[in-house]
Amino acid sequence: MSHTPSKDARTQAAHARVVLVGNPNVGKSVLFNRLTGRYVVVSNYPGTTVEVARGQARIGGTTCEVIDTPGMYSLSPITEEERVARALLLQEQPDVVIHVVDAKNLDRMLSLTLQLLEAGLPVILLLNMMDEAERLHLHIDHHALAKHLGIPVIPASLISGRGVEELKNIVSEYLSGRQSRNLPSAD
Amino acid sequence: MSVNTFPVDKAATYPPPIEEAVDAIEALLSGEYTLSRRAVALLLLQHDEEIEGIVRRREGEERFAAIAEHIRKAQAHYREPLSMVILAHRQKQAQAIAQQVVHYPLKTGSGLAEWIGRVCMQPLTGIPILLLVLYYGLYQFVGVFGGGTLVDLLENRLFGEVINPFITHWVKALLPFAPAQQLLIGEYGIFTLGVTYAVALILPIVGTFFLMFSILEDSGYFPRLAMLIDRLFKKIGLNGRAVIPMVLGFGCDTMATMVTRILETPRERLIATFLLALAIPCSAQLGVIMALLASHPGALLIWATTLVGVFLLIGWLTAKVLPGTPATFHIEIPPMRMPILSNVLTKTYARMHWYFREVFPLFILASVLIWFGQMTGLFDLALRALTPVVHLMGLPDEAASAFLFGFFRRDYGAAGLYRLQEHGVLDGRQLLVTAVTLTLFLPCIAQFLMMKKERGLKTALAISAIIFPFAITVGAVMSLILRLLGVQL
Repeated sequence: MSHTPSKDARTQAAHARVVLVGNPNVGKSVLFNRLTGRYVVVSNYPGTTVEVARGQARIGGTTCEVIDTPGMYSLSPITEEERVARALLLQEQPDVVIHVVDAKNLDRMLSLTLQLLEAGLPVILLLNMMDEAERLHLHIDHHALAKHLGIPVIPASLISGRGVEELKNIVSEYLSGRQSRNLPSAD
Repeated sequence: MSVNTFPVDKAATYPPPIEEAVDAIEALLSGEYTLSRRAVALLLLQHDEEIEGIVRRREGEERFAAIAEHIRKAQAHYREPLSMVILAHRQKQAQAIAQQVVHYPLKTGSGLAEWIGRVCMQPLTGIPILLLVLYYGLYQFVGVFGGGTLVDLLENRLFGEVINPFITHWVKALLPFAPAQQLLIGEYGIFTLGVTYAVALILPIVGTFFLMFSILEDSGYFPRLAMLIDRLFKKIGLNGRAVIPMVLGFGCDTMATMVTRILETPRERLIATFLLALAIPCSAQLGVIMALLASHPGALLIWATTLVGVFLLIGWLTAKVLPGTPATFHIEIPPMRMPILSNVLTKTYARMHWYFREVFPLFILASVLIWFGQMTGLFDLALRALTPVVHLMGLPDEAASAFLFGFFRRDYGAAGLYRLQEHGVLDGRQLLVTAVTLTLFLPCIAQFLMMKKERGLKTALAISAIIFPFAITVGAVMSLILRLLGVQL
């Protein structure tokens, strides 16, 4: 595994990289389809994405590469698919990491968010399946959550497209800050 | 500071012995890492082998030894491994945050969907439900409707009476050379066999199958099936998790072989790969076989029983022979959801599109290869070589061609078989033997290539070397038993 890509590769890569991570079956592939307009098979069935899908998206005037990863439960991989997902995070130097979670099972999912934060990755938390959470009468205070974590938190229901625009806006904010963030470490 | 590092002050904190070790290790890390040094230090404390390798290379043996010393000191404070301590602390904090921001309703919802979900998992109700799904979803919809009604409409009416006579007429008029005519409209011609098989036989069968598969998949039925079958699977060295590739295998064994990656141990991956290659028929085969045996329900029952038997027996044997312990099972159970029609249709379309793009050129290629073989005499030679094998299984000479096709792709072979049945060449008993043998064969060249990619050439060759003689032996034994017992189907 090459841990850090060469400097050349990094400066040559004109495209910003947006990486989607999360537990299996939380909607990463749906988001991938929404962002790129490409179709990867989506199912109500954990573990169906085992290969990495890449596609292009234009977000707020920036062309970026969107990378869909196999499901992972934690940054310490157990299965081969988790290994693939982590290797991707290590290699790709993402400009934005979108952590997609199932809003209904937030307590089980935030552990990975904390780990991503620990790793210093530029994380956005996307609370997917809000429609189902609401049907269960779960109320989630996403403002408070954003404050706790210190990152943007977006409620969404990807199956119907809810939350996608807001997500794009925030990703685009992250991306416009990309240049300045990269400068200090250029040498 | 590495490239994308964000402030980490909001992340989890750990008890003092661990935090101290993290600080000390961070101070020892001089290289640049994609992850924050804190994360690297924590992963080192959790004995992450990959990270250990990277750090060892980047920092040198001396520093790595100093790091290892800090890890040892931290570990001395705990009886359980540090990875458990770290995990537990992080999870506790994650749950604390969740508790502060999520407000749960007083009453836990127990809607109809949840009830359906529950009864699918309990053996007493789950097994009858599974049988219903198999009977209506697979047998009635795919076998009888897709493989019977639709195929009849397309193959006999559209192709048999309209398209093929039309093409035959024009090819004969425009190309007065026998070999060229043979290539396009002969017995195995590009139009009369390749295109007809692909469009009129395989398309409706695979289409109905994928439609049913997508509906079940989106409903959330499969993970519940996994729970149901977990106990049975444990006996064959797998666990419920392996249901995922197995069920996907009914769609496409090649894709499912790739999905064996989700299994935790190499042992499980090998067992699953082997069983997929041997005993799980893919959608194309399954559909054609359903259609083939739909008129002989008794044969269909024996076919299914034999396959389940082979699956369990071989799985059990493999688990005995391969060393290792069974893995534990945990799976996320998503809620039951009403499938959304547009999603189901998109998915069915995407799969059919993918499948069709894959098989269509192969079917055409097969026609060309067979034509070439016929022109050069190689085809007859291969048929003659296969004839004794076919006789061994109590089958007529004509079945040899179906087998020859079967080596190429199982569905292609099964489609050839379908033709033989239509022409009344095979009786019920012979159909059954052929169907079983073809199902046991490796599905297609693509799956072999995938096995090679995932498990290595040696394993792929070994699996194939076991499967072919095994399939033929099962066929021969079955034929013998049926004849001895005088079973009429």
